[in-house]
Amino acid sequence: MAATADTGPAPPQAAPQKAGGLRNDPRVQMGGQLLGLAVVFAWCIFPFLWMVLVSFQGTVALRDANIFGGPFTTGNYTRVFEEGFMWNLGNSIFVALSTTVISILVASLAAYAIARLPIAYKFTILAGTLVATVFPPVSLVPPLFVAFNALGQLNTYQAMIIPYVALTLPLSIFILTTFFATIPKEMEEAAKVDGATPFQTFVRVVVPLAAPGVFAAAILVFVYAVNEYLIAFSLASGDPNVMTVTVAIATLDRVGFEEPIGTITAASTIVSIPLIIFALAAQRWIVSGLTAGGVKG
Amino acid sequence: MSERALGRAFLTPAFVVMGLLALFPIVYAAYESLFDFDFFTRTDFVGLANYVDQLTSPRFWSAVFVTIAFTVVSVTLEFIVGMIFALIMNAAFKGRNVTRAVILLPWVVPTVIAGQMWRYLFEQRPGYINEWLGLGAIDWLGSGASMFWAVVIADWWKTAPFVGLLLLAGLQTIPNEVYEAARVDGATWTQRFRNVTLPLLTPSIVVALLFRSVDALRIFDLADIMTNARLETLSVLAQRSIVRAPQPDIANTLAVLTFVMIMGIGLIFIAMMGRDVVGEPEEGS
Repeated sequence: MAATADTGPAPPQAAPQKAGGLRNDPRVQMGGQLLGLAVVFAWCIFPFLWMVLVSFQGTVALRDANIFGGPFTTGNYTRVFEEGFMWNLGNSIFVALSTTVISILVASLAAYAIARLPIAYKFTILAGTLVATVFPPVSLVPPLFVAFNALGQLNTYQAMIIPYVALTLPLSIFILTTFFATIPKEMEEAAKVDGATPFQTFVRVVVPLAAPGVFAAAILVFVYAVNEYLIAFSLASGDPNVMTVTVAIATLDRVGFEEPIGTITAASTIVSIPLIIFALAAQRWIVSGLTAGGVKG
Repeated sequence: MSERALGRAFLTPAFVVMGLLALFPIVYAAYESLFDFDFFTRTDFVGLANYVDQLTSPRFWSAVFVTIAFTVVSVTLEFIVGMIFALIMNAAFKGRNVTRAVILLPWVVPTVIAGQMWRYLFEQRPGYINEWLGLGAIDWLGSGASMFWAVVIADWWKTAPFVGLLLLAGLQTIPNEVYEAARVDGATWTQRFRNVTLPLLTPSIVVALLFRSVDALRIFDLADIMTNARLETLSVLAQRSIVRAPQPDIANTLAVLTFVMIMGIGLIFIAMMGRDVVGEPEEGS
């Protein structure tokens, strides 16, 4: 018995040990992790890389699928600016900011009432809010198209802002309610003891404490409004002075350029870069807003 | 003002806005769907005839089928890749924050831009995807099946990272000790994933699937842009019937049918999974 054990280490036994050792090797682990992260990176960034390179290609280079092939030019950008695209960008920002201010204001009040104040049917209201987030926006398009058409309100800023506010309220209320619920009650009670009215308590104590949550919800509403296409296209695509960037980018190729891909990628790059910078800067709030309500600790 | 009165006052604006601008239009569309139209003028009361027309129309049922198929396929693919992304980011020590920032990029960029990017990537000229993958001259956006898959791929690209982000947040709430205990007990990676990660991650998974499914059911942007509305989902069909070729009787009927179907499916999801999202009634009241 002893002899057999000495004559040779059995290969089948050694192999799994070695594999286990390899898997526990910190360098191999680190390498595997970095490889995984590289895959995630490539997935997220590659189409943008393509977009930016193509946006600098001229008519000749655009006939070739090689994205690194020149000659490169800024001609697409010049044409986009000449088309008045910056005005569309201004429209988008105006519509998104208006939507955000109104929606967050109205939602904060409702969320505070649900989270803190003694109201009847509290659970039903919160559940109803969650159900309302499912609302299909396309169902609003026919009735609002008819109504705005009759009132002469098609192709106006309000034709977008009004439905955006209605559609973003449920999610804003839901997110803000979860944020308000995490503020320690003691702070409010202390204010009450000091003689503050319920409204003063809300404005002086709760609002400042809830600022990060409010900011998170505001970012989500803003991003939604900048992204929105269905309603903007259906109710406000007829007037270039009101048209937002999403409608402009969607319809650029219908204007009749020879190589619309160049102008479309240039316009898309102009819109994407500020949004990307914004997302990176506001990352913390975006993540907390997206996961509020979702991940209950 | 008493707290009770303040509560009512605070709730009123939200209820008025949602009631007037979301609920009322639907009710009005339901009323108008009972009439015939001559261009934008209401003519005869026809009862449920418009609904009979739609519910016996192959075009309507094809839109229902496309919408549901798209939802099932894209949400499944997004969930799988999202889960892999979340596990990768959760395991990594270095570079996790950078990756978590980068993963937001597909989410923050408007769907219209994603649609245009993928449309030109799939187009035959100059044929980026066809050439890179050596596929020859496939006309991706030309016909039913490949058009469907092109839109699925674009949606997959845009939302898988978002799902990954939601799941990562859930993974980070699982205490490390639970894994240590499982490891000490000799559980393999697969066993740990099946018996520790999945059960503890269930609330996050439920939320991610819920939000993604109801979002996918409403798909419009990618189908409209990538296929010029040739891939007819429910939203594309309803939008076309009022904007591209106005027929208010059909449009109102489709608005109501879409509303009922999507809210119905949403309600079923929420009823099945809602406790994980809203919490127990005792907690909320």
